[in-house]
Amino acid sequence: MSIMEYNGGSVVAAKGKNCVAIASDLRLGQQAMTIACNFDKVFPVTEKTYVGLPGLASDVATLKERFRYRVNMYKMKEEREIEPEVFAHLVSSTLYEKRFGPYFIEPVIAGLNSKDEPFIAASDLIGCLNFAKDFVVSGTAADKLFGMAEGLWEPDLGPEELFETVSQILLGALERDALSGWGAVIRIITPDKVIERTLKARMD
Amino acid sequence: MSVLGYPGASVRPAAAHPHQARGPVGHQFSPYDSNGGSIAAVCGSDFCVIASDTRQSTGYNIQTRYKPKVFRLNDKATLATNGFAADAEAFVSLIRQRLEWYRHAHGRSMPLHSIARMISTMLYGKRFFPYYVYNILGGLDEEGKGAVYSFDPVGSYEREFCRAAGAAQSLIQPFLDNQIMFRNQVSTPERQVPTPGQMTLPEVLKIVTDSFTSATERHIEVGDGLEIYVVRTPTKLGAQAVGAASVDLAALPSAVPQTVDEAYGGEDEQEDGAVMVIRRDLKLD
Repeated sequence: MSIMEYNGGSVVAAKGKNCVAIASDLRLGQQAMTIACNFDKVFPVTEKTYVGLPGLASDVATLKERFRYRVNMYKMKEEREIEPEVFAHLVSSTLYEKRFGPYFIEPVIAGLNSKDEPFIAASDLIGCLNFAKDFVVSGTAADKLFGMAEGLWEPDLGPEELFETVSQILLGALERDALSGWGAVIRIITPDKVIERTLKARMD
Repeated sequence: MSVLGYPGASVRPAAAHPHQARGPVGHQFSPYDSNGGSIAAVCGSDFCVIASDTRQSTGYNIQTRYKPKVFRLNDKATLATNGFAADAEAFVSLIRQRLEWYRHAHGRSMPLHSIARMISTMLYGKRFFPYYVYNILGGLDEEGKGAVYSFDPVGSYEREFCRAAGAAQSLIQPFLDNQIMFRNQVSTPERQVPTPGQMTLPEVLKIVTDSFTSATERHIEVGDGLEIYVVRTPTKLGAQAVGAASVDLAALPSAVPQTVDEAYGGEDEQEDGAVMVIRRDLKLD
């Protein structure tokens, strides 16, 4: 058993036309046993930037707090909000700091920058960044998410089309992953608002 | 990496100094290997599509770019095999032999459901030294309806509408669940969700092709070529083409060149148009 699969959970993010989507399941498990089905793995960084943290649940909590601390310090020193591109590098260096005793988290970052351009990125557990132009996936259902996304995603989707596409990508993958599921939540980030929706999913 | 290509083949205790006597050399023969690749099958109301990529590999090494994994058994049955290529080869030739014996005894081809049960018992016959092969059997049942049977290596089997197996199973199966079984789709006033198994041949071919191009994109063991077998009821000469048989496969739009051929091989005398094979490249760049 890998520690990366101890609690289960998955996150996917995708670009659209002037928007991005980030979605995750809600399961918290202890190997085969489900502990909770309200464990949201996606956290706000700024108004228009979110981070998804699938992996070991204790490290989800730790990293969430560490990022909150470091983003607050950045805001106070710089007197401005952090850009998603900058935050991605913050994530990377935070993880690489623990190169030989890593956090067991593979983060996903999604947001709109100050010019309202969509940005997504994913990282491995020691901070290797992947700036994808289309979509990024992470967690125990990563390979299923790759299969779904590679088949369903297309460029320049509007917010509602992107919502439907990313929801189908996530729900389809969750049904074939034993360690993810038990509810799902999706956020569509647009220049003027963030649409947050809880999806009706299979609860098994 | 050893010559024979299995782990442990060249394991020997390291000598502290080159002039010192070497310790006993241990050899461990592993009878299995995994040869990558992926297969998938989808059935419609009066046809069945059985597809595979044509790459064969061990680890990161490509052995060949064209090694078919789909085999025409007769006019109504086609078998896709995936896993350990040597076992697959031996297993398919054994099936072929059993089908020939059946023909000599009964004077007709073995029906699909009987082939499925036979494959199951043949696999379970080697329960404690299994054929390391995942099989998907596709064809037409005795009512002429499309059918897919999928098997595990020790003979557990099930009839389904669609199934993916092999290296990219986890990439392809959720996509087929969504596009063939319409999972997670709900009807709206604008669009009624169709019932599974009612799709037309061109629609199914498009989805199967997309499955493999997607898998090629994200899985290193999948690629090189795509071979899609289509099992249908052959249209009688001069008669109006009906159902799947009416579809002109050559007219299927594709940016990548594809060939459409009559499929050969199998134990029966073949009827034209019963089993077709479509071939195309999978991303050679």
